[in-house]
Amino acid sequence: MKLTEINIILIGIVSLLGVGFYGLLITRNLIKVVMILQILVKAVVLAFVFSGKVSGNLGLGQSIAATVIVADTIVAVVGLALAVQVRRRFGTLDAPEISTLRG
Amino acid sequence: MANIFILLIIGFPWLGALIVWLIGDARPKIQHTFAVAFSLLSGISSLILLAFINSQPAIDLALGTSFGSLTFIPDGLAVSLTVIATVVGSLAVLFSVDYMRGEAQLGRYYFMVLFFIGAMAGLVLSGNLLFTFFFWEITALCSYGLISFYNDDPKAVAGGIKALIITQVGGVGLLAGALISYASLGSFQISELLGRADTIPTAALSFIAFSFLIAAAAKSAQFPFHTWLPDAMEAPTPISALIHAATMVNAGIYLLARFYPAFESVPGWKTAVILVGVTSALITAFMALTATDLKRALAYSTVSQLGYMVYAIGAGGVLASQFHLFSHAVFKALLFLTAGSVIHAVGTRDMRRMGGLGAKVPFARNVFIIGALALAGIPIFNGFWSKELILEVGLEHSPMWAYALMLLGAGLTAFYTFRMTWMVFFGTPRETLHIHPIGLAMKISLAVLSIGTFTTWLLFGGLNGILSTSLPFHEIEAESTLEMIKAVSFAPATWFALLVVTLGLGLFFAFGRKFALSESPAWLSTLTESSFGFEPVNRFVVSLVSNGAEKLRATQTGQLNWNILAIVGALLVVLAALVWGGAL
Repeated sequence: MKLTEINIILIGIVSLLGVGFYGLLITRNLIKVVMILQILVKAVVLAFVFSGKVSGNLGLGQSIAATVIVADTIVAVVGLALAVQVRRRFGTLDAPEISTLRG
Repeated sequence: MANIFILLIIGFPWLGALIVWLIGDARPKIQHTFAVAFSLLSGISSLILLAFINSQPAIDLALGTSFGSLTFIPDGLAVSLTVIATVVGSLAVLFSVDYMRGEAQLGRYYFMVLFFIGAMAGLVLSGNLLFTFFFWEITALCSYGLISFYNDDPKAVAGGIKALIITQVGGVGLLAGALISYASLGSFQISELLGRADTIPTAALSFIAFSFLIAAAAKSAQFPFHTWLPDAMEAPTPISALIHAATMVNAGIYLLARFYPAFESVPGWKTAVILVGVTSALITAFMALTATDLKRALAYSTVSQLGYMVYAIGAGGVLASQFHLFSHAVFKALLFLTAGSVIHAVGTRDMRRMGGLGAKVPFARNVFIIGALALAGIPIFNGFWSKELILEVGLEHSPMWAYALMLLGAGLTAFYTFRMTWMVFFGTPRETLHIHPIGLAMKISLAVLSIGTFTTWLLFGGLNGILSTSLPFHEIEAESTLEMIKAVSFAPATWFALLVVTLGLGLFFAFGRKFALSESPAWLSTLTESSFGFEPVNRFVVSLVSNGAEKLRATQTGQLNWNILAIVGALLVVLAALVWGGAL
């Protein structure tokens, strides 16, 4: 595979997604989960800009990316606020620990 | 003009449903009034629509490429069923004014009833299979909601869920058939399917035909789906009369009649239809012999009579089946509503506790006897003419064994009908029951229906006229009422049937009274209690599903990491499939 511009960005997207999924698989701490979700979303933002560039519709890709950034910030804020509440009520941030759904 | 009336027929009840619900349960009087008014308006609109019968769509609304056009076609088949749905519907609503007086949550009740009436009209008028399916599902939903209307009674809830699940099997059949027909023809229009059926490959056409047969059998409670209808009798009685006797259960018959020209040539289809009809008609007639619950006995006889209609379609008698459907809707609604008024009066449904009620509720006795004579097929009542017509078609076009079994069914019908009538109204009272008087609204709807039972067979010529002129794909010969009377009176089939009916009556007068009051023979009651072995099958399916679901709970850990693992795993499977398929 030649290291063209396109390939470098593709590798970036895939590795960001890979880091994100791997992180979600192994993380138990809620704050870390929020952080990893941010990494995942960054991969998505990059993919939007990239697909805008490839399809020749850069403006559309960029505006969608901006929208995702705004929405994602709100997700992060709500997620962190929930983590604070969980810490106060359960005294722990460990996800399996606070799970009350029993299979 | 026709388009306006079609919109009114569906729009009036649906608008009324919303209004009655919004009025709130604090003002029951206004709710009763509005419900009756809107259902009557819908009934009047459908009677006016009789003047605009046409085989061309009256409403044609293009909805883009994936759905085709939303069409409504006011042809003879559709309008006759619309008239039944809305007129019997308004009588049932009128009856409810007395029957449901003082009940809580009338808003929910009337919402469901009116929503149902509109959907039933839409179902038969729609010319687009996808919308037929859409209305079909609304009727199933309303049926479920009304069976479970007394939702603090576990039996009612269980009956409702059973009806919903079993009729869903039919819904899936209808949808599968519709989608296959779309795949072959590129259109959801019913007229396309009827007109170009011969261009569909044989395998696809057989698939559509048998899917529709499953749909019809599940909706009309035919064998092997007959077990839901008796349990549906937990519904308030006007609902049993309207949905589970006069209208919704006819949707299956409508489907078979509508698509008969397309499926006629499919090998084995007509035989399968005859088989379904004969089996349903006979086994439920046996079950009606031992039923002790008045409403369940009537439900069994409904399945049995629907079996006659299915049988008629299998034998090629679309007209005969529609005529019997019309008669049956009138006399069975009458029987159910009368049963409702009796149950309302004495407060029990158990026929063993009744007896000798005739002297106490003479009005109910008289109208019930009218309905019973029609059900048994005694001359000059509407049930006689239509049943004879079916048997005549059967004698000419169906195998001899099927005809013989249907004759036997006619004899059984006469027997169980008289057993039922006798157990409720005659003999000596077996228990002292407190009698509530029967209300005026009840009497009005019962009177209208009993007049109908005497006279609707005179409309044969009219029904035949609208069916023969407006259905381009069905071959129905025009015949006037007078010609029909002559044909039926001189047909050997009629005399056979009358002989068998008389035999059934003779047997009843010889042994019936003793039979009715004693315990039924053990083998018969075992058979009927298990719905001829189908109740265990139902229970097996239920336990299979719930055990399977219980086992699958282990996968629901609620843990983020496991869920992500599943997501990543699924992603890898999709990627592998794409790579393997050469898409990447």
